[in-house]
Order: sequence, then C-alpha cells, then structure tokens
Amino acid sequence: MAKKVFKGRPVLSGKLEGEALVSKLPFNLTGSYFENMFAGNTETAPCTDANNEALFGKDMKDAIMCTSQCVGSTMGAGALMGVSEMGVGLKAFLFSNHIDSIAAGGLIIDDVWYDRRVITIDLLGDEFLEAVNTGDPISIEEDGTVTVG
Amino acid sequence: MDKKEKNQTKMDRRNFAKTLSLSALVPATAGTAGVAAVIAPQAKAQAAAAPAAYAVTSTGGKVPAFAKDILTSDMQGLGPDGKATGQKDTFTGASQADATAETSAKHQMKLTKEEQAVLDGSKGPEMAKLMKIQVVFGNTFGAEKLADLGGAPHSNLYPGAPYLGSLIKMLAECAKAGLKSYAPYTVNPRPYDCFNVQNNVKEMQIVYEGYPLQKDLDWVHAQLGAPDLNKRSCACYVKEVGNAPEPGTNVAWAESSAVNYGNSVLGIRTNRNGAGIDMICALTGKAPQFGLMTDEGRQAKWLIDVKTSKTPDWGVLGTAVGRKVVEDVPLYAGIDQYFEGGEVTEDNLHLLKAMGSASAASGSVGLYHVENLTPEGKSKGRKLLNEGYQTYVYDDAEEQKIIKTFGNLWPEKDGDPTAAFIGCPHNTLYEMKHWGELITEGLEKAGKEKTAIPVYMFCANVVKLQLIADDGELAGKMLKAGMIATPMCGVTWAGTKGFSDRTRGITNSAKTRNYSSIRYFPDQTLVDIIVSGKVPG
Repeated sequence: MAKKVFKGRPVLSGKLEGEALVSKLPFNLTGSYFENMFAGNTETAPCTDANNEALFGKDMKDAIMCTSQCVGSTMGAGALMGVSEMGVGLKAFLFSNHIDSIAAGGLIIDDVWYDRRVITIDLLGDEFLEAVNTGDPISIEEDGTVTVG
Repeated sequence: MDKKEKNQTKMDRRNFAKTLSLSALVPATAGTAGVAAVIAPQAKAQAAAAPAAYAVTSTGGKVPAFAKDILTSDMQGLGPDGKATGQKDTFTGASQADATAETSAKHQMKLTKEEQAVLDGSKGPEMAKLMKIQVVFGNTFGAEKLADLGGAPHSNLYPGAPYLGSLIKMLAECAKAGLKSYAPYTVNPRPYDCFNVQNNVKEMQIVYEGYPLQKDLDWVHAQLGAPDLNKRSCACYVKEVGNAPEPGTNVAWAESSAVNYGNSVLGIRTNRNGAGIDMICALTGKAPQFGLMTDEGRQAKWLIDVKTSKTPDWGVLGTAVGRKVVEDVPLYAGIDQYFEGGEVTEDNLHLLKAMGSASAASGSVGLYHVENLTPEGKSKGRKLLNEGYQTYVYDDAEEQKIIKTFGNLWPEKDGDPTAAFIGCPHNTLYEMKHWGELITEGLEKAGKEKTAIPVYMFCANVVKLQLIADDGELAGKMLKAGMIATPMCGVTWAGTKGFSDRTRGITNSAKTRNYSSIRYFPDQTLVDIIVSGKVPG
C-alpha cells in the first residue's frame, strides 16, 4: 500500500513502529476495559465494548490505538492508569480529533507520576482515520508525524 | 457460532459476572462526560429502533452478561443508526473543534516565578510532579496560565474500586508527603450504604468485593482535607453541606452535576474535570485556565427558547438540551417566570438541579445561563449569545417527543415496580420535606399506612439530620411509611451486578434514567405509583 503521512500534535511524544488497531467509532475508555477493571484479567486486554463491533473482543494490549476521540465515564482516567499498572495498556494512542480531557488526564498523570508513557498524538485530522485500517503498518516520530503504510 | 458469540462464550466461561460490582463506573459524574460507561443502546437508539430491552446494542451486538446493568448515555458519540456522529467533544466545555496540530503544538502556558520554582522542586518532588501534570495538561488544552483557586474543591473520586488503585496510591503518597488540599473539600457520596440499603448478605458481598479500596480512599480523603462522611454529597452546594463559593471564584470541581450547577447557578468558574485532575488542582491550589474558566468560554452558542404552555418537565427539558447542544453553552429564555421573584432559593434550586444534571448526563453541558435568573443571565442577558448562535425551540410538542424516547428498559416490562429512587443529584432539604409531604398525604388519601414499594431518599446525612431537627414529626411519618433516607449514590446502586434482575425501579431523576434501567415519571405520577404499586397503563 502507498504510504500516507499525517502530522499531528505530540501530547506525549515518542518514536514507535508497529501495527495499527483501529476504532472508527469513538473509543469508550471504561466500557472497553471491563474485563481488566473488574474481572481480574491481567494478561490480555480484550475490548469489552459491545457497541464497538469492529473492536469487540480484540486484544488491545500493547496496541497502537487509532480513533477519533474517547468517550465514556469521567472515571476513564483511572481505567487507563489501571490497565497501565497491570501491564496491558496501549503503546500509543493516535487521535484524529483533539484529545478529550478524560483520556488526557489519565495519560498525563500516568506519564508524569509513574513514568509510564503511552505515546499520544492528537489532531491528526479526519483523513487519518479514513485512511488507517487495523493491521496497517504504522510509524510514529517524536515530532508527531505518523506514517501509515 | 460467529466470532462475537465465541467471544461472549469465552467471557462467560471466565465467570465475569461472579466477580464484582460494576457500579463504580457510574459517576454521579458522568461524567461524563459526566457519563457512565456506555455499553448498551443509547436513548436515541431506543427511540429509533425500540430495541428489545438492554440485551442488544445499537449496532446489533450483544451486551456482555456482566455488563447489562450499565446502560447508556447519549455521550457515546453515536447516532441512532449506531454510527459515529463526528462529535468533537473534549468534555471540558471548551470545544477545540477548530484547533490545528501546528498551532496547538507550539502553545506554552506562562508560569509565574513561584510556579516555575515549584516545578523545579522548591516544594518537594511530589508537588513538582503535580505541577508538571498541570503544565502538560494546561498546554494540551491551550490554557494561558494557572489560575489561583478559591472557595473549596469538590471531588468525584468516590468509589474504592480496584482499577482506581493507581490514583488512590498517588494521593496516598501525597498525603504521606504532608500535602493537603488548599481548603477543606467536599466529595461525592460513597457507593454503598450497608445500614439502610445493602443491609443483606447478598448485596454486602457485592459491594465489599466490588470496593475493596473504599477504606483506603476514605482515609486518604480524610488526610488530604475532606470533612467527615456526613457531608458526602454530589449536591455539595446545599446549605447544610455548604460548599457554595462566591460568584466568579475559580475552582476545579469534578462531578458533572456539581460542575453544571456551580458554573451556572453559583457563577463559579470551573472546567468539567475528570477524576484525578480535580485532586491535583486541590493540592496545588491552581488550575489551568481555559474553557469555562474564561469570559470567552462562558459565552453561549445556543438560545433555548422555552415555550411550553405550563411549567416544563425540568428533567425532560435538560435531557433535550444536552442531546441538542452536547457540550456547548446554552442560554435559556422563558423559564425565569417559574422562579418566584426571579431568585434561586433553597426552596426552588432543585428545579435547576434537575434540569442541569440531565443536560450534563445526556450531553456534557458544564455551564448554562438562564435569562433574568442566573448570575450572568441577569448581568449580561442576551449579550451572552455569540454571533451566529443557534436557536432550539422547546415547546409542548418537543417535550412529548423527548418523553417518547424514554423506553421501558425493565427486563419484565409489564411487571410492577419494586422500588422508588428519589434524589439524583442528592435531595435538598426542601425536597426531602416536599416528597415526605406528597407521599404521606397520598397515603392518607388512599387510606394506607405504608407505601406499596420502598422509597429510597438519597441525601447527605447532614440533610437528613436537619430534617429530623426541623420536623421530627414528618421524618417519623416518612420512616413509618417506608421512606428510607440514605447518603449513598443512587445511580451507582443501579449499576451493581444483577440490579435490573432484582429491581424494577422508578425515579424522578432524568439523570438516573439516562444511566440505568430505572424508569422516569413526573412527580405526581410517581407518587401515585408509590402509593398504589402500579404503573398506570
């Protein structure tokens, strides 16, 4: 596939290569992690958001999550920190929209207080989410450049 | 068996449902965006497709068995067709839809010399980290500076659920370092009450297994400056709880209904903070100034023209507005007439509490104005409207349209109700007395001594005590009639495992309806059901 390059804003910068896991629907921070938050699973992170058909059941551990923004409970910041502590959090969070305050709170607290970084880039634009699909190779640069393909 | 069914089976095998209470998700915040975890069909979808109760999602997927009592809000960013709406909501009340990567990446907040020194460690490593979190967070949202906070904080960090362990541990480290909130602060209600509600083995097991960190959380709040548990309430602004800062005061509250009421009716300035950020701001005494803390961010993008022929149903009106404006600031016109003398008092503030909390639950409204009533609605009037504002007319027909979207989510749709839930957000003292009189008089007229179903009255413990002090006779009648006062969070209870299997609830709260299977009814209808035990056909 032809490479496509997008320029976003590094909220928490970093360099990484891997495969994309894509949620075309907004990502529900709490609804997606029920199994980790409440059912004692600390090995994998299967998505438990039944509304998100494309993501439901997929293992999100160490994923590069590409989505528009997060939705869900204001306790979502705690959920992100919880899965991070378990070692089943994301490697990177790539947003086409501006990051929301709930995800930002959890990711930034976890990064600063516990030195647990999830590379976070936002404002990649609608075209990014239209172009990227689950399984696509993806590379992230420190300056917020994201290459798909 | 398709892939999803396989996943479902796999999860069932792991016995999710045996492990816990999910109620820790349901914020009196919702947060969500004051929003509860959203996993089942949303209200719009209910209206459009009338799905068979909660077992099928708006996209046709199955709700995991362990999650069926965590229902929905409109804050999922999905339309009635289950597809993304393209919503660009940051849950701050400060739309960043026009932000670009280039300009946002360059933004740096200005710090004072003192703030820079704290960042460099002058007040210890813990305070330096807290300051750094605020700087990164503020830069992310385009804050110009850190505002000095006044009044008192309010925190939504209330459930001692395992997944919040990292946040609780961080606060415990702060307490150990000797840090305290800049002022004594209020906290949302605890998630359970084993004296009055979960006073049986089955429910005690659910809550004790679901909230193993409750003691740790309660203790850390006490160390950091929260008062005793008698003042725990989401309605921190009522007189008996007493957290009602002066208009114009900068604070950093979390709890969607409190933020909504505080910004709008008290005239304080706070963003809609998520769990964690609220406490960090409380410990530093500062908050990044952006969004609803700025003059520009408090301007209205919507005019809500209320033209009902009689008093609107406040919860329905709020629900309608939340769905319409999502996180934008609305200016209501036409409702000041329902407030005697054009003033908000302890005896009528519950109307705005009901309306505002509904808009904070069905949308993420963090601030609204009411022409001729709320502080800025009085002082600025229609000058609050931005150029190019949109208008939403709410009339009798619109009210009925919204009510029709309130589906019956009881698993046994034709069953009789089993419990009433009154007080989300928590009841004011006036509401306690008002509902006490309505229900005891209703019973008297019907020649009955007890309500047909238990009636749970959610309020701060200090409010209950004040009711007893003011009117012990009424309090006694209420108790004998079957009205149970409890300081816990009602909507959290509705999220516990198997709730809808055990309970067919009814409520006066549009917020509770938004997050649960509990059905919403107008006040007098609710009284009739409580007395008779039957839902009218």
